[in-house]
Amino acid sequence: MDPVTLGVVALMGAAATIAGAAEDLESDIGSQSNPNSQVQLAPQMGHLHRMINKAASGEPVSYGVWCGTAGAIAALAISAGIIPVVAIAMGSTVAAFVHAIYTVTSHLGRIVGQSQFEQPLFMDVLTQSLGPIAAHGFIASFGIVGMSYLMTLPLDGLGHPFPLPLLAMLWGITIGAIGSSTGDVHYGSESEYQKFEYGGGTPVAIQGDIVTKAPTGAKNSIDVGNFCAKYGGPLTGFCFGLIVFVSFWITLVFGTVPGQIVGIVIIVLLILGNMYLEKFARTKFGPYEE
Amino acid sequence: MELISLIILVIFIVAGGVCIGGGVHFIPVGGAPAAMSTATGVGTGTAMLAAGAGLTGLITAASMTGQAWYLVALAGAVGAMLMMGITMLIANFVYIFGVGIVPASSKASIDPITKLDQDPYKTPGTEGHGVPTVCFVSGIIGALLGGAGGGLVYYAVDSFASASTVLSGVDATAAAGLAAIVSVGIFFINSVAASYNIGGTIEGFHDPKFKRIPKGILASAIMSLVAAIFVILMLGGI
Repeated sequence: MDPVTLGVVALMGAAATIAGAAEDLESDIGSQSNPNSQVQLAPQMGHLHRMINKAASGEPVSYGVWCGTAGAIAALAISAGIIPVVAIAMGSTVAAFVHAIYTVTSHLGRIVGQSQFEQPLFMDVLTQSLGPIAAHGFIASFGIVGMSYLMTLPLDGLGHPFPLPLLAMLWGITIGAIGSSTGDVHYGSESEYQKFEYGGGTPVAIQGDIVTKAPTGAKNSIDVGNFCAKYGGPLTGFCFGLIVFVSFWITLVFGTVPGQIVGIVIIVLLILGNMYLEKFARTKFGPYEE
Repeated sequence: MELISLIILVIFIVAGGVCIGGGVHFIPVGGAPAAMSTATGVGTGTAMLAAGAGLTGLITAASMTGQAWYLVALAGAVGAMLMMGITMLIANFVYIFGVGIVPASSKASIDPITKLDQDPYKTPGTEGHGVPTVCFVSGIIGALLGGAGGGLVYYAVDSFASASTVLSGVDATAAAGLAAIVSVGIFFINSVAASYNIGGTIEGFHDPKFKRIPKGILASAIMSLVAAIFVILMLGGI
């Protein structure tokens, strides 16, 4: 085991953690993932809102596009002799611009579609949310392209055969799937329905009855970011960082074939950990009363 | 190109496609309702979660480029299972500590693995929530099949592209990249078709919708066969 390679893998894990947290918070602020259905439904239920809704594309595919764009520009700049960290920043900047254009067009389209239910288009909501969305998207793209670049370094145990833009696109799709599966649940199940009692799922009967008021004034998408930054976002980052680190750590430390066996042992431990967690929740919360 | 190489390529792509298409049926996805804790499973779409796991498997499988086919497939399976396992565990952390609910299945009144009651722990008015053990194990099996299938397709196309006279003189990165793009394409073809077969959400192998798997596998085999013919035409030349 080369200690330098292990350090690079740890750095990949750290970059993935930051990218994962930023990705989840961006998708929460922009209602990009499945909870967008409630933002879309709310005006029909009589709840006009000041939320961004840019879910014209699924989160994994759109993140594949941002990260693939950033990776392609970065690869081009690196081949032109620009130092990698600057090249990756250049790629991520271009991706942030593409992201901002997508945000404006998709939000306008989705909100205008709700005009028949008297939902207004608030231009101040769009302008105040655009910066945080593009900035979080930049951090996510930078982290993922940076991590992909580290994977391609010609070090013992690394040196991935895929080109940089392709790796960035594949990891972009993966982080979109992870953010959609983990952190966005905190937005959809808790932030959108915070006015209902903690400790229950969302019954079908109250769907669309989302929170539209904040402690001061109307709730907006930035309030969602503040809420989810306390739990859902960091946990998504932890999840993605762990996946990236463990995937490479096993073969690096234990070798090619024993590494796969260690991977299977970790998977068995994950199953047992989930069983323990489920039993803990049952003991802690108990059943619902009839 | 020898006939035997072409036959092996087709067999690997069809077998990989069948593994991917079959594997998607095992993955517990609740779609948008699961994101609001209204349905059991992971809160995203079928094809997207399968693709996320499968592509992680593809990246780990490609790390084994140059090794035997079974090692490439094993690395793909382990990578995909790790992604799926960690994602489902962290999702349960969000469900339990962020939303305050107990994972509960709506398709099985008693979890076939842990033998725990499910109905009393479901929030009234919902179709269950979270990822209970039976769904978790089913998801791991799905990731195993999806990751191994993706690895098989990658191995076959990479070997074929590296030996192809059409690509002679092109560096190895281009062949690996081409193999990856073809693998991703075959992955999406099979996972999207499987998600149409499922028709929305599925909890795993205990869900009644799981009985649709034979049709899904047949469709995957036919689609992968057609895809394999196109791969031969693209990489081998006409």
